[in-house]
Amino acid sequence: MSGTAVLMPHMGESVVEGKVLRWLRREGEPVTRNETIAEVETDKADVEIPAPIDGVLAKILVGEGATAAIGAELARIEPAAGAGGAPPASARPAEPASREAARPAPGPPSPSPDAPPRVISPVVAKLMARHQLTAADLDRIGGTGVGGRVTKPDLLAYVERRGRPEAPPPKATVESGLDRPGDRGGDAPAPTPWPPPEPTVRRPQSPAADEPVEEVRLEGLRKAIAEHMVASVRTAPHVTTVAEVDMTELVRFRAYHKARFQEDEGVPLTYMPFILRAVVDGLGAFPMLNSSLDGERILVRRYYHIGLAVATAAGLVVPVLRHADRLSVRELAGAVHDLAERGRARKLRPEELSGGTFTISNPGVFGGVLSTPIIHQPQAAILNVQAIRTQPAVRDGAIVPRELMYLCLSYDHRIVDGATAVQFLQHVRGRLEHPLVLLM
Amino acid sequence: MRGLQLTDDQLREMYDWLRLSRAFEERLALLNRQGKLMGGIYSGIGQEAITVGTVYGLRREDFICPLHRDLGAFLVKGVAPGVLMAQVFGKRDGLSRGKDSYLHAGDTTLGIFGNTSMLGSNLPVACGLAYGFKLRRQDHVVLAYFGEGAANYGDVHEAMNFAAVNRLALVFVCENNLYAYSTPFEKAFAIPEVAVRAQAYGFPGVDVYGNDLLRVHRVAQEAITRARRGQGPTLIECKTFRWHGHSEHDRASYRTQEELIEWRARDPIPQFERYLEEKGLIDEAGRREVTARVERKIDEAVAFAEASPWPEGPEALEHVYAD
Amino acid sequence: MPTEAPAGAAAGEVTYLEAIRQALWEEMERDPAVFCLGEDIGVYGGAFQITKGLFEHFGEERVLDTPISESCIVGVATGASLIGFRPVVEMQFGDFISCAFDQVVNQAATLRYRYGGRQSVPLVIRCPCGAGVHGGLYHSQLPEAWFVHRPGLKVVAPATPYDAKGLLKAAIRDDNPVLYFEHKGLYRRIKGPVGDADTLVPLGVAEVKRPGSDLTLVTYGAMVHPALEAATRLADAEGVETEVIDLRTLAPMDRETVLASVRKTSKLCIVHEASRTCGVGAEIAAFIAEEAFDDLDGAIVRVTTPDVHLAPFSPPLEEYILPNTDKIVAALTKLAAY
Repeated sequence: MSGTAVLMPHMGESVVEGKVLRWLRREGEPVTRNETIAEVETDKADVEIPAPIDGVLAKILVGEGATAAIGAELARIEPAAGAGGAPPASARPAEPASREAARPAPGPPSPSPDAPPRVISPVVAKLMARHQLTAADLDRIGGTGVGGRVTKPDLLAYVERRGRPEAPPPKATVESGLDRPGDRGGDAPAPTPWPPPEPTVRRPQSPAADEPVEEVRLEGLRKAIAEHMVASVRTAPHVTTVAEVDMTELVRFRAYHKARFQEDEGVPLTYMPFILRAVVDGLGAFPMLNSSLDGERILVRRYYHIGLAVATAAGLVVPVLRHADRLSVRELAGAVHDLAERGRARKLRPEELSGGTFTISNPGVFGGVLSTPIIHQPQAAILNVQAIRTQPAVRDGAIVPRELMYLCLSYDHRIVDGATAVQFLQHVRGRLEHPLVLLM
Repeated sequence: MRGLQLTDDQLREMYDWLRLSRAFEERLALLNRQGKLMGGIYSGIGQEAITVGTVYGLRREDFICPLHRDLGAFLVKGVAPGVLMAQVFGKRDGLSRGKDSYLHAGDTTLGIFGNTSMLGSNLPVACGLAYGFKLRRQDHVVLAYFGEGAANYGDVHEAMNFAAVNRLALVFVCENNLYAYSTPFEKAFAIPEVAVRAQAYGFPGVDVYGNDLLRVHRVAQEAITRARRGQGPTLIECKTFRWHGHSEHDRASYRTQEELIEWRARDPIPQFERYLEEKGLIDEAGRREVTARVERKIDEAVAFAEASPWPEGPEALEHVYAD
Repeated sequence: MPTEAPAGAAAGEVTYLEAIRQALWEEMERDPAVFCLGEDIGVYGGAFQITKGLFEHFGEERVLDTPISESCIVGVATGASLIGFRPVVEMQFGDFISCAFDQVVNQAATLRYRYGGRQSVPLVIRCPCGAGVHGGLYHSQLPEAWFVHRPGLKVVAPATPYDAKGLLKAAIRDDNPVLYFEHKGLYRRIKGPVGDADTLVPLGVAEVKRPGSDLTLVTYGAMVHPALEAATRLADAEGVETEVIDLRTLAPMDRETVLASVRKTSKLCIVHEASRTCGVGAEIAAFIAEEAFDDLDGAIVRVTTPDVHLAPFSPPLEEYILPNTDKIVAALTKLAAY
């Protein structure tokens, strides 16, 4: 087959497959370069697929509702006649047309846990070593051999494609939020973390007639979260420490300014910008909480990309607010609002879902009082912001009503000790209780 | 002897060959008992009159196709005793350079063809040699040897027929020593002797007492003359007896002591010595002198063989093909 | 020299049979040491008329009619070769070489070796072989594997008139005993160009009859033709390009050509008409697995007659067992898809 391939794009390091939600063009319809022709859903985001060239959508290889691996061909576009400025017409090196016709479209690779073990022929093994490919690469290659086997021509074509500068979305080099320390863009295998023993899990028994059970498949975002949470808990020894913050000042401040703010900025003024400022300030003073453990090294980051957990219908996503230290409260408010909106709409870009150095989650919006959050690997800590409640407090010997809020910090006790963690929290608390400092 | 014209020197020469042949084989038996030889040693002791009698007088270009019990034929046809001894030892200076044992290799330059262990399969090859001489119009002859046991092998019949049809210059020499290993003649033949088979193929067959050197020689020369004249092949059956077992490992219990004693009394060498004595060509001193000379030659041959190097392992891979 | 180019052949094209005769004629002309022997080859011109005309030209001594004595005939050739002749034996049917087995494998094959390299046996034994001619069990055999296994013997199996002539000339001039397996089914069926009197096809050199980059097919003898057909069919239908290698010489085998091809395509199919177990294909599969394991992208497959006798007489039985274009196409298709 000739023409240019439309590929399933890379969308974060740990994303291995995506599902085609919709084709916006049918076979035979003309398409313009960069026009969105399909929508694809992954664990983390819904992504729009642009056409790489002007032409005609000649063949759809992965239909709506079907899943394909990252890098797999979704469709082929025949270039428009005389499309001189377009990228190279053929995604493969010059080969007789009839040879392409002999090959079926690459089927979904990437064996599920129930599939038989992958077959790697001797020459494929040799070429993998020569080109430094791993099993992850094999997952990305659409195998045209029997049973979806990756053949020598499949592998060589993949190596060839991988080397082309025009290949659609370039491999992400930033760390995704789900990276483990030591991941190097998929080329080298990740170092093995400290492995606690595998917990034995008792499978639920079959339901009786008056005990109905609805089955929901573990897939997509839910599955990704499940895997990440288990991995995080098995990686880091978690300790949670709690601080009680008197938010009364901030509550008054916000109440006073929020209407005007909303008018002026077009976005609501929540507590999150202040919390962000306080946290970033605290991380500056206690940098170990902004670090990662990489084998025998602790990488202490001197930049501040704060992940903000956003609850969506499908599950938790964590967009990352980059260089949070460089933004004013007003700018933070806008950024937080934007990320939250797009997060809920699942319109985040891949680079917005990775690279965080510290995470803040806000179960307080639902009324949660205390929690023991799970760290977002490969970070060192995570902060849960709980609900602000009017509570009795003792001030100057008297019992008075105050707006009180708990901050729950889970930290990785390999990197951070209790003293540091507590002091960090107290620092944050101090900033929140005297908000004028945050505005400077 | 009527019909033969042998000079005194030739007679003495023939005697030397008899003595050398006997001494060589006796030495092999000794070396074997000393554990210095490996593989099969097939003694022709007692049968020397046949090999010496038939081979003596052949041209260098004539060919002999002997078998395992015809060691003397190799000597008379011109193989150096040292080379023959090295061959039996399995050393590199042997005819096979260690690749095969005993008498399985020949020397084309001396007109000797060494056969495989398939006794009788040398006869078709002999036919090929003779056919080649015919194509070239050369009157060389080929002598092909086989025991009475091998006389029943298929190739022997095919070859005799082929030689007869093409009138080849071939002399078939059948050494009938009455036992093919343990099988006595009567068990393998429904006829009283082998010589009669020649008639079935269309050429003369002669039966001769094999321990009379001169008689064997005369009959052989007649057959050779016939062959050179283009009159076709002849079969000569020589009756004889081997003193040792089929090989040195065989105690030959299938034969009786009486038989052995009777035939040892017919030793061809003393018989020929008596003839030479009658002609005044040898005496006791002369006999001793021959003994000493022959023993010296054998000693030299053994020394040569012992000094000859063993072939190196990788040589086993050589000479499978001609390049 | 009487020629027999059939009507319709292009100028310079002769049949496979005629190519063999030309080789014999030219070599006998060139070298008086060359002579032929076999049953019915002289006056009659041979059971397949290969030697027709030679008797009248070269005489009864150089085109010798022999009695029915296969063993003796081979022994005679061996003996003559020791004193400078280059005999060419004709087995009336290659099947009968079994009657001469000892003379071939023990006498001729070992002679140079047991003489410590001091003597050679420059003879050729022509064996009309092959099935598909309603020959039954004793006029259809392909016994080449027995002799490929035996050191000291060279074995060739030409598929085309050009190779038939060139290989026979080279075999006659070779100083080793050479078994020349000519396929009787090709005698009159195949026409093609041939080389001149000085053109030899060297022993031990395979030929890529059809280049390709997707699959390697190794074969020899009559099977070269359905193999080429299958390769064409597959290319037209599936766009898969098969490299067809004609071994031409089975011993010594040109392993380098096969290795180079398998390293390129990573997929190997072997085709031979002889039966399967311990056929020549088994040796090819074994040495490729040993020396090119890391270059294989699929199992090595063989398309052969199964382990039955070659060949049952009744046509439906013979057709059932023999490899053909369809069976080769099926095997190649499956190999390509793996």
